[in-house]
Amino acid sequence: MQDAAAAKHDAQEFEPKVVAFLCKWCSSAGSDLAGVSRLKYPANAVPIQVMCSGSVSPIYILSAFNKGADGVLVSGCHPGDCHYLKGNYYARRRIFLVQKLLQFIGVEPDRFRMSWVSAAEGVKYAEVITDFVNDLKALGPQTKLKAKR
Amino acid sequence: MIPVEDIRARAKDLLQSGKVRAVLGYRRSTAGLLAEPAFMTTADETAALVLDPTCVGNLALYLVNEKKRMKHARQSDKRPLGIVAKGCDSRAITVLLQENHIRRDEVIVLGVSCETGGMIDTRKLNKALRGKGATSAHFEGEGGVRVSYVGGGTILPGKDVLADRCLECAKSYPLDADFFFGEKVDERPYGPRFAAVSAIAEKGSEERSAFWDAHFERCIRCYACRAVCPMCYCDECVVDSTNFIVGPTTSADEKADRVRWINRSATPSENAMYHMVRAMHLAGRCIDCGECERVCPVNIPLRLLNTMLEREALEMFQYTPGIDAEQPSLISSFRDGDPNDFVR
Repeated sequence: MQDAAAAKHDAQEFEPKVVAFLCKWCSSAGSDLAGVSRLKYPANAVPIQVMCSGSVSPIYILSAFNKGADGVLVSGCHPGDCHYLKGNYYARRRIFLVQKLLQFIGVEPDRFRMSWVSAAEGVKYAEVITDFVNDLKALGPQTKLKAKR
Repeated sequence: MIPVEDIRARAKDLLQSGKVRAVLGYRRSTAGLLAEPAFMTTADETAALVLDPTCVGNLALYLVNEKKRMKHARQSDKRPLGIVAKGCDSRAITVLLQENHIRRDEVIVLGVSCETGGMIDTRKLNKALRGKGATSAHFEGEGGVRVSYVGGGTILPGKDVLADRCLECAKSYPLDADFFFGEKVDERPYGPRFAAVSAIAEKGSEERSAFWDAHFERCIRCYACRAVCPMCYCDECVVDSTNFIVGPTTSADEKADRVRWINRSATPSENAMYHMVRAMHLAGRCIDCGECERVCPVNIPLRLLNTMLEREALEMFQYTPGIDAEQPSLISSFRDGDPNDFVR
């Protein structure tokens, strides 16, 4: 019992930094909904609003890791719901390749995630962030791609 | 066997008739074993044209360079350029056509099949010869390479001396050629495709991480991989922004606000960034000519990064780069059935 409490305390020492690229039309609105609904979720994610998940260049993701993010989330509208009709389909293909590349280089697969969160899914957004932060806490800080300054 | 005489005759004919302004091919180099690329502008020069396992370079690169040169040339000769293209070179040309970087009527492709042969890897050859300096190499029968060195010669099996990319070659002959030399051979006596990348992919995450850390640490950022790549034709590369001019009136704020995606310093993290960005930029475009790996002065296995994405593209999206100039590119297209399980 005491061990579990101590382990929990140790795990909480590390607060991972998450950079979340949220599309303006769905996921960003979803995160707003989570906020106005007063849902409780970790405050580790720094949201960055982008116009579309399809506009997230792989270099944004790599650069986030380079500048010290422990995890990166890209979130967009559900397939078929894209405001620009097909932006998230392009994103899905591209992000898949980025994920494979990160894994091939030896970055833990859990550090990079993509999710579909609609404007009505505040609860899902809170869940995605909670899961992500918990997984990252288990992994510890990201050092592989982080620039040494 | 690859009929060099036929290629010479065709190149000579093209130049004599004035159909091309130059023929881009290989000739014996004055330094070392490998053949050098050559722009042949007169019919006489074609006598020097060679084609053997030392013609490792990807000539499509010179189409890109020539386009850059032509842009600034005072007078431009509008006639097409003849180019000797192996299977991989021709795939590179197809990708350039697909991206509208060049037009089809700007090139006359003299396609050459490697048949069951391929191009040698000098590192492997030196190892096989144990210090004897090779002076020439020729194809010999089914997948063999006849190598001569000072005071002797030997026949080595192809699988020992051919470059990895040739052992894993998908199509050893060009699909889009105006003139074709050699025979189309689909069954090659070598290992399966993606053998090298599979070996790395099967390792554990930590082992892979250590493997790449060791390699990226050595990178000296000479950008030879970028310079030799026919697909790296951007005027401005993300790693060196040339359009940001620092002058006497540039304020400190402007300098500070400038976006630096990747620093130039050759530190492991920045090197990893550079190579990953390059791999992403080549996803669905890299045609596996293996030149980046060959020119790397510190022997980083760069080809692995590109072939890994090539394998994913083939397995997950059924996409093969460089087979059809009309197909939409890998990341400018999608299908409803693309993998979706990885998304939460």
